[in-house]
Amino acid sequence: MSDASDLDPIALEITWNGLKSIADECFLTIMRSAFSTNIKERHDHSTAIADAQGRLIVQAERALPIHLASMSGLMTHILEIFGDAIAPGDIFIGNDPHVAGGTHLPDINLAAPVFDGDRLIGFVANIVHHADVGGAAVGSMSGGLDEIYKEGLRIPLVRLYRGGELQDDILRLLLLNMRLPDERKGDLYAQIAAIRLGCKRLDEVLTRIGPDVLTQTFSEIVSRTHHRMQAAISRLPDGQYSFEDVMDDDGAGTENIRIALTIRKKGSRIIFDFNGTADQVLGNFNQTLNATQSAVCYALKALLDPNVPNNQGIFDAIDIDAPVGSLVNCVAPASVALRANTCQRVVDTVIGALADALPDQVVAAANGANTSAVFEGTDPRTGGKYVYFETLGGGMGARAARDGKDGVQVHITNTSNLPVEAIEQEYPLRVEEYALVEDSGGAGQHRGGMGIRRTIRPINHNCEFNGVGERFTNPPWGLFGGFPGEPGSFKLKNDDGRTTSLPPKASRVKLTPQDAAIIITPGAGGYGSPGDRSPEDLDEDKRSGKFTEAYFRRHYTKAD
Amino acid sequence: MNDQAERPDWILGVDVGGTFTDFAARNTRTGETRIHKRPSTPADPSEAIVEGFRELMEKIGIIGDDIDRFAHGTTVATNALLQRKGARVGVVTTKGFRDLLEIGRQVRPAVYDLQTDAPPPLAPRSARVEVAERMLHDGSVLEALSDQAIEGVLEDLKDIEDLQGVAVCLLFSFINNDHERRLADAIRTARPDLYVSISSEVQPEFREYERFSTTLINAFLQPEVGRYMARLQASIGDAARTARFGIFQSSGGLMSVEKAAQFPVRTALSGPAAGAVGAAAAGAASGVGNLVTLDIGGTSTDVCLIRDGQTEIAYVREIAGFRIRLPMVDIHTVGAGGGSIARIEADGLMKVGPESAGAVPGPACYGKGGKDPTVTDANVFLGRLPLSLAGGGLTISKDKAEEAITRIATRLGVAPVKAALGIVGIATSNMTRAIRSVSTEKGHDPRNFALMPFGGAGGLHAADVAAALGISRIVIPRTPGILCAEGLLEAELQENFVAPCRGRLENAMDDIASASAALHAQGNDWLRREAGEGQDGRVILALDMRYVGQNYELQVEAPGAVGDINALRRGFLAAHERAYGHADPDAAIEVVNIRAKAVARLARGDADLSGSAEKGDAKGVVPVWFSEEKQLDTPIYDRSDLPVGTLLEGPVIITQLDATTLVPPGSSVTVDAALNLLMENHNV
Repeated sequence: MSDASDLDPIALEITWNGLKSIADECFLTIMRSAFSTNIKERHDHSTAIADAQGRLIVQAERALPIHLASMSGLMTHILEIFGDAIAPGDIFIGNDPHVAGGTHLPDINLAAPVFDGDRLIGFVANIVHHADVGGAAVGSMSGGLDEIYKEGLRIPLVRLYRGGELQDDILRLLLLNMRLPDERKGDLYAQIAAIRLGCKRLDEVLTRIGPDVLTQTFSEIVSRTHHRMQAAISRLPDGQYSFEDVMDDDGAGTENIRIALTIRKKGSRIIFDFNGTADQVLGNFNQTLNATQSAVCYALKALLDPNVPNNQGIFDAIDIDAPVGSLVNCVAPASVALRANTCQRVVDTVIGALADALPDQVVAAANGANTSAVFEGTDPRTGGKYVYFETLGGGMGARAARDGKDGVQVHITNTSNLPVEAIEQEYPLRVEEYALVEDSGGAGQHRGGMGIRRTIRPINHNCEFNGVGERFTNPPWGLFGGFPGEPGSFKLKNDDGRTTSLPPKASRVKLTPQDAAIIITPGAGGYGSPGDRSPEDLDEDKRSGKFTEAYFRRHYTKAD
Repeated sequence: MNDQAERPDWILGVDVGGTFTDFAARNTRTGETRIHKRPSTPADPSEAIVEGFRELMEKIGIIGDDIDRFAHGTTVATNALLQRKGARVGVVTTKGFRDLLEIGRQVRPAVYDLQTDAPPPLAPRSARVEVAERMLHDGSVLEALSDQAIEGVLEDLKDIEDLQGVAVCLLFSFINNDHERRLADAIRTARPDLYVSISSEVQPEFREYERFSTTLINAFLQPEVGRYMARLQASIGDAARTARFGIFQSSGGLMSVEKAAQFPVRTALSGPAAGAVGAAAAGAASGVGNLVTLDIGGTSTDVCLIRDGQTEIAYVREIAGFRIRLPMVDIHTVGAGGGSIARIEADGLMKVGPESAGAVPGPACYGKGGKDPTVTDANVFLGRLPLSLAGGGLTISKDKAEEAITRIATRLGVAPVKAALGIVGIATSNMTRAIRSVSTEKGHDPRNFALMPFGGAGGLHAADVAAALGISRIVIPRTPGILCAEGLLEAELQENFVAPCRGRLENAMDDIASASAALHAQGNDWLRREAGEGQDGRVILALDMRYVGQNYELQVEAPGAVGDINALRRGFLAAHERAYGHADPDAAIEVVNIRAKAVARLARGDADLSGSAEKGDAKGVVPVWFSEEKQLDTPIYDRSDLPVGTLLEGPVIITQLDATTLVPPGSSVTVDAALNLLMENHNV
């Protein structure tokens, strides 16, 4: 038995680097061998290694923030459900947020144990967002679904492989419930290939350094990160920090949904108390506790120590008290597909709460959404059905040192847009405008980022538009005297020049070739009083043409 | 001009790096090869070139008229981008899309970092002008470009202060460039003072952001690179009247000075690409076609995969946060080099890089004021980098290295030897991780490749990196320190063409045939015009293909078989299988672009490989740390003293002008017929 002195800091760093390399290699394996564009182009997947207790040890460098806690949720459930029955050659599969540690159904999680003889050493795991997992609507991400059964196939944790044998009946059951089963199978095989590679690589490390040193390495990684995170937390002044934000609506009748947060911090302990947050809603904006945990970890890491490694050590440093059955700790059969919007708002809430304590690190409210637009119809050129799906960025909040970035994905999302020239070739649609929204950045010493406007028209056919927006009625707030940014909106533009407003959760809106849908994403809040904006910055604002005369008169004309 | 006998004998390659400007010269008749090195002059790189050029001619004993060709790898474009020092440029774009270049792909560079943004566009919004016009995806005109609209653009351009260049970037210009051309003509006529880049010329491919961005970068670089090319041509032209210029492109071939001035964006990765071409040539000389290159410089390490003697090509790359879409040798850069600084992170662990001591102040052992311990300091401390042989006239202070290493060792609570071995080990693990990622992404197992280290420090770390990757064979080229300059001697003349050709494979055969014929004609025309002296001129066609519904293309070479649909389909399936590990023979395939690469071989002779006749003695024996336990007496050999066939068992150090090779215990090295060193690790 080796003792702690075997783990000198240099050997630890090198082994740790090797483990990260394994997670990266698994990530790239999925990217390389997946079938769907969502993975190959948007990289909506994550990979990780966990230890025998299910603690997250390393995550791939390019893993997504939203998947952070989902991995550990998965591990906890595997250990609880299967315990001593976990055996070499098993691969577990699951997606359910309520019983399998998922965050929404399209994210299918896989995990496999690694053994040394009969001693469980750890797990290799990955998550892939599948383009469809069945349910009421194509893509399994539609708004307005009021219970999780409608959102797609719920997979509890089951063995997809048992002792190295594919459980074909399970696979057939899964694929039968999904649209595009061939693509799903291709993506699942990519996940399996990554699991196998990860197990093989972890096995190589195991052979090289032995189970005891590897296990110690896992613990050391977690405890060093835990201490690092605690040290960062300790630098926050002790005290209580509160903030409230409000989500627009759930698309199923509930409006102004409150997220209330009180952070209590003493020494190196920090508790995020969400008591006072609204009850879970009918519409699918609910999130399970691990999604809330992901959002809190993202925000705290971004504010305190952006380079802190993603592992259990972060979770261990943070306590969360979220009322069971609330929007941020929902219970079955709550629907959750659009939880990314809620995560964004939880991030804003954490940042808002800590603004006074960390004025140099915080940002004003960003576009705070995951604005999505879906166009569906029949292509008159081919007679085939098409679905064009896009998520759009908006303003980034202003900061102590600089303006907020215009037209960008913020916080927990960072996916690319589709080229206009690709959209028009592939779909019977025309993009008439793709621009920053004038006046949408909140005024301030540093101004908020601008939202995006995209205008899309169907060509030679009628189509349906579905949109999900947030911060359409509750604008992104400013900080320290900065003004709020402009909210987003969906509109319908007629050829006769009339513009009609659509609801923030625009469902099944019919478009004819005489109509265009205008998608306007929110801007972001300003930072500091507009009176303190430097003449140079004001000159640049004027030169840029991003703002109207009226905006300058409203915000920057001095009383004298 | 095809009669080579009339041409002078010497060809010259010049590669400008951040610290040194490297020269390689070869007599194409006798094979005599000479190298030279002098400090770079970053303010005006042509100074060091002209000065070193003179010195080298003197050294060889030739005059300017003896020079046939001058091949140049340049970092002028790269540096202008990194430092954002280029022209004041404007953009003319389709109405409704002025902000497209600013939004880009709407992603941010660092997910968890709230303070870091992608850089603002090279043309500010006030210098981006919209024009009423609209093309559609099939090349038809939705809204015609009126003369009045053109007049409006000219008026708008007048309002932009100090404007030097314009990028004309219209939607769907890659399929119909009529509007772009008319605008460009009008601007050129009305404003002869402006440089004009148009997107359908710079990069006629779909995906507007990438095309516009590439075009804007081109416009931004044009004045600076144009002036540089003119200056260089004038001064070298004075000294060597007969010499013909070739400027090295990121895609791995030479182009004319005129082309370089017109399309400077093609030189954005000129330097590192030359190294990869040099590596491929050096590997070929030893009969090794599958290589992973490891070019370790001061601040970073470049890695490139070479398969069957061909460098892998990438089509998109970001430099300084700006996206370029052009064919480029696929080089991955890791922030780990000789100058990488070791520091202790918040979690108490030691990290190496990406911060670098750079050339100034440089590693502590340079004695130029650097205090932080670097990888080079660790190598000096361990005895791996001989003090007298750093190359380039630097003196190395072992004391200063020891001081820096001891300081971090004390903070870590370990012995200095352990800290120094740790710095080297962590740097190695960073490089290893990068190589693993690159190979996995491409679907290769690094164990099936040989490692080719170069750069001054490649040979110091190669054995460690190879062992970590399970690579058993290392090929160290003859002149690792100036492989980029050597690569320039080997480079062919090259021009790339692309034409859009969109449709399902079975419906597109006619379009493929006509587009291929047009590209072939373009390629041959170029060969006649620009490659007069080149031999073996040929045009290679490739198709960008994908499954219907995919958003990414694979390049499939079509050797003379563009009319054979089954051959194209088979080619695509094989490429898909290789790239992604699977292929569906029944799914619908579509074509997106056709590419043509026209290449012509230039006279380059064969390097004289006679080498030393007799094995010289070791220059000395030094104690070197390979493990914490004890130092091993390690002989140092001068590489020029090692004739073909020499076999040495590690530990041994082999030095040459500008590079050091470390052969650890358990490895041996032989000098092969190409004068390359082949290192074998007996334990892998």
